[in-house]
Amino acid sequence: MKLCRSLAAALAALALACSVSLAGAQDIKIGYNSDQSGGGAAEHGLSGRFGVEAAIEDINKAGGLLGRKVVLVNRDDTGQPPKSIQNMNELIDSEKVVAVIGPTNSGNALAWLHLPQQKKVPVISHVATATEITKRYEKEAKNYIFRVSMVDREQVALLAAYAVKASKTKKIALIADSTGYGQGGVKDATEILKLHGVTPVANEKFQPKDTDMTSQLAKIRTSGADVLIVYALADANANLMKSMEKVNFFPVTVGSWANLATPFVNIAGKKLAENLIFAASVTETSNERAKALNARILAKEKNLPIFVCAAQGYDSMTILAAAIKKAGSTDGEKIRDALEAVDGVQGIIKTYNKPFSKTDHEGLGVADFRLAKWKDGRVVDFEDAIAKSLTPADLKK
Amino acid sequence: MEAILQAVLSGLALGGVYALVALGFNITNNTTKTLNFGQGEFLVAGAFIGVTLVLVLSGKGHTGVLQPEDVTIVKYLTGLAAILVVLSVLGVFLYYTAVRPFVGAAGLAWVMSTIGFGIIVQNTALGIWGPAPLAIPSPLGNEVIRIAGAGVLPQEILIFVVSIVVMVALDLVLRKTKIGKAVRAVAHNKNAAALMGINVPAIVILAFVVSSCLAGLGGLLIAPVTTASVFMGLVLALKAFSAAIIGGLDNPRGCILGGFLLGLIESLIGLWHAELREISIFVLIIVVLVFKPEGLLGRKIAEKV
Repeated sequence: MKLCRSLAAALAALALACSVSLAGAQDIKIGYNSDQSGGGAAEHGLSGRFGVEAAIEDINKAGGLLGRKVVLVNRDDTGQPPKSIQNMNELIDSEKVVAVIGPTNSGNALAWLHLPQQKKVPVISHVATATEITKRYEKEAKNYIFRVSMVDREQVALLAAYAVKASKTKKIALIADSTGYGQGGVKDATEILKLHGVTPVANEKFQPKDTDMTSQLAKIRTSGADVLIVYALADANANLMKSMEKVNFFPVTVGSWANLATPFVNIAGKKLAENLIFAASVTETSNERAKALNARILAKEKNLPIFVCAAQGYDSMTILAAAIKKAGSTDGEKIRDALEAVDGVQGIIKTYNKPFSKTDHEGLGVADFRLAKWKDGRVVDFEDAIAKSLTPADLKK
Repeated sequence: MEAILQAVLSGLALGGVYALVALGFNITNNTTKTLNFGQGEFLVAGAFIGVTLVLVLSGKGHTGVLQPEDVTIVKYLTGLAAILVVLSVLGVFLYYTAVRPFVGAAGLAWVMSTIGFGIIVQNTALGIWGPAPLAIPSPLGNEVIRIAGAGVLPQEILIFVVSIVVMVALDLVLRKTKIGKAVRAVAHNKNAAALMGINVPAIVILAFVVSSCLAGLGGLLIAPVTTASVFMGLVLALKAFSAAIIGGLDNPRGCILGGFLLGLIESLIGLWHAELREISIFVLIIVVLVFKPEGLLGRKIAEKV
């Protein structure tokens, strides 16, 4: 009798365990595939994950989605395309995630875009900036790739608009690294400046690992330019700042959001870092929601290197949740269709009114961007008379 | 004019590091007729060990962020001491595992083995510190010093001065002291040197120790300018090797001349067309090899038949 009772208890416990694991299987899994330990983009991926996690916490606190709990399946691609592809296969085929947020490196995105597209899993790119990412499958009946990040050309539109107004002599110079990233920026800048009726007076190059740009700066000084647009990664830009100090030539300098990364301030030093104005979608001082998110993540994690990525991650997840709710299903195709229809989603950066349409998969555009700069080791909004006077008509692209 | 002076100053700082590493090539070439093709990775090891020691002494983790006030001259010199110890051990290890088994043997097995040793060092560093560069502020501060309008960083002056001092010291040791004469004797004729009672194996090991330490010193000196990166070794070693070829691989003074020449050419050409820098250096190497294959200061070797 006693044996029977304990057997029954064991069976009951087993049944309970089964039901718990069944509930686990019903969780809605969201994949996250980004560089979180490898190269220069690791800070972006880590910060982005903190944002996505915060959004999931909010969603679950409000009762989850479709009555189910949302969980994040995190994969680190260490910045390597082969690893990123492997992660993607794993997330889609083994983990059966309903959607993926990532990656950080544009090159990695371009290496695996065909996988989610073929397997009908929606992707929201929250960091990578290459224009092609959302465009590759634009012509297909259903494009599964979306983005809530700062597209290169849209950034250049803001930088060029500011540069043209800030220049007293209308002499603007360009400097960029010799990689695809830098030269892509130069091409965009040249085309957009043309729309403003300005031809750059100098166009200089450097190697991404160069530390001394004094000779290029000497030529830019000779050209008479008083505004400089720089398109390169954080460490090279920091060395450019150091070279400016050497030749004692400080034109108004504007650059891309790459300057948000901490190597920029670590190499240039806090004081020199303040001389560069760059594009950002949001900063931790932009609005109350941003301030609250920043404080909340910092209370949990010891460091939040790039707040912008956390905000974009938070917004990507929030829009995705709205789409799942609207679709009323976790079917990839239905979520994708719902993404093109969601409306009035409150994010950190802004309220997303119809962020995506059939032809436009970019959640953010130049109108959402602002200028920012480093101040005492943190990124803050930058506002001067010129930045305030920019109108939508100035933002040619 | 100011721009030219600026380019000359930048070129001398850059050339100093090339010259130090080139000298490392010269020492092992003279004593064993082999080169450590992993010299660039030894430079990486030097840079990371130095930065890490300063980090640890400042109470931060091995991949932390250093503030200018963390980097004092005492910590920097302690870092240097650690580099000399670790790199000496590494040099001895390199000699016994990757060079000695192949010395005198036909073929170029030592080329592959030293490259391989370098790759092992590099990937060990990658495993410990990861691929992100480590920034270290200069112990001398970041205030730009103005010389006739051109700006130069204190660290760049330090690189130039240290490289000159080390080279002059090495030159004196080689020419004036007993041990220096022993090194030169081994370089000249190993068998004759051994018959004269010189401990040839000890001299050869010393050569590898000095060569490794020079690379490590180069790494520590250049880290505040370029940041310490696991991938910086190859390019620097290639330039230093080019410097040794241009100046004369068997002549220490030639290697130094080649180093500074290369640094100056690089920055002066940059003044004109930045993208022509590498092209002009390697065109120069080909020209030198065609017209003076032994290098600018090299000794002509008469082929005895």
